[in-house]
Amino acid sequence: MKALVVDDSRAMRKIIAGALRKLGYETVEAADGAEALKVLEAGPLPDLATVDWNMPVMDGLTFVTQVRANRDYRALTLMMVTTEAEHGQIVRALAAGAHEYLIKPFTVESLEEKLSLLGLLPEGVQA
Amino acid sequence: MTELVEEFYDEPTDYVEDEALGQIVDAMWASYFAHTEFLLPSFDQHDIEGDIFCASVTISGARPGIVTVSVERTLGLPLAQALLQEDGELTDEDVYDSLGEVANIVGGNIKALVPDAGPLGLPVVSTALPLHGASDRLAARLDANWKGQWLTFEVWLAGGNGSENVGG
Repeated sequence: MKALVVDDSRAMRKIIAGALRKLGYETVEAADGAEALKVLEAGPLPDLATVDWNMPVMDGLTFVTQVRANRDYRALTLMMVTTEAEHGQIVRALAAGAHEYLIKPFTVESLEEKLSLLGLLPEGVQA
Repeated sequence: MTELVEEFYDEPTDYVEDEALGQIVDAMWASYFAHTEFLLPSFDQHDIEGDIFCASVTISGARPGIVTVSVERTLGLPLAQALLQEDGELTDEDVYDSLGEVANIVGGNIKALVPDAGPLGLPVVSTALPLHGASDRLAARLDANWKGQWLTFEVWLAGGNGSENVGG
């Protein structure tokens, strides 16, 4: 399985990508929404994208909206991974087309739980 | 006869308190720094002075604010190494990025406690503490020791009418 990790913080990309690789994912990274769209255009389509909200150039909500507007990306599962912890923001993200929402700080176990809910834990991995 | 009309602003409520800030920092430490030494909170204030890094994020909205994380410059590298779980040499960019992400995580969770908060700014890392307006209020502060050095987490919110540009 392949995941695209979208976050403007290299540290956070490393943390998320490292956790996903331990679960068996191949990972590719992008530092903002615009860069992430280029990754998607280049293909192949990942199974999952974890998306930060506050990023320069293109924020996560705009990225989610643009992905959901493109039928070619229907198979891509989007998980917001962000410090935006207010209920209203969670609702906005889900309404825009995100499938799941994980608030920073998160533990590896909580990331696994979310992936399990999404049916995206690689075979042999149990949350 | 002209009447003198005084404007009274409600005494601003600090939606954020030391305890909430402490819980947020605790959660962050447990998530990303659990493999390192404990972070030991202190009841005493330990101002970070001299050669420092200060990472901050701003909160916009009805009650603007700024969340800062200040450390002595010598703590920047070990903190980044701990967050990235890398023992080797790191670039300055890695250090700034790591400090910024710490401020971002704390700031985002603080923002959730502030009513009618607007967007969170992107993290900024500088070598000086931000300036505060006369009516800005220190809503919460946490001094904590890690590896024998001090970190200071602060939350400043605009005073009475919320029109100030905190930390700007």
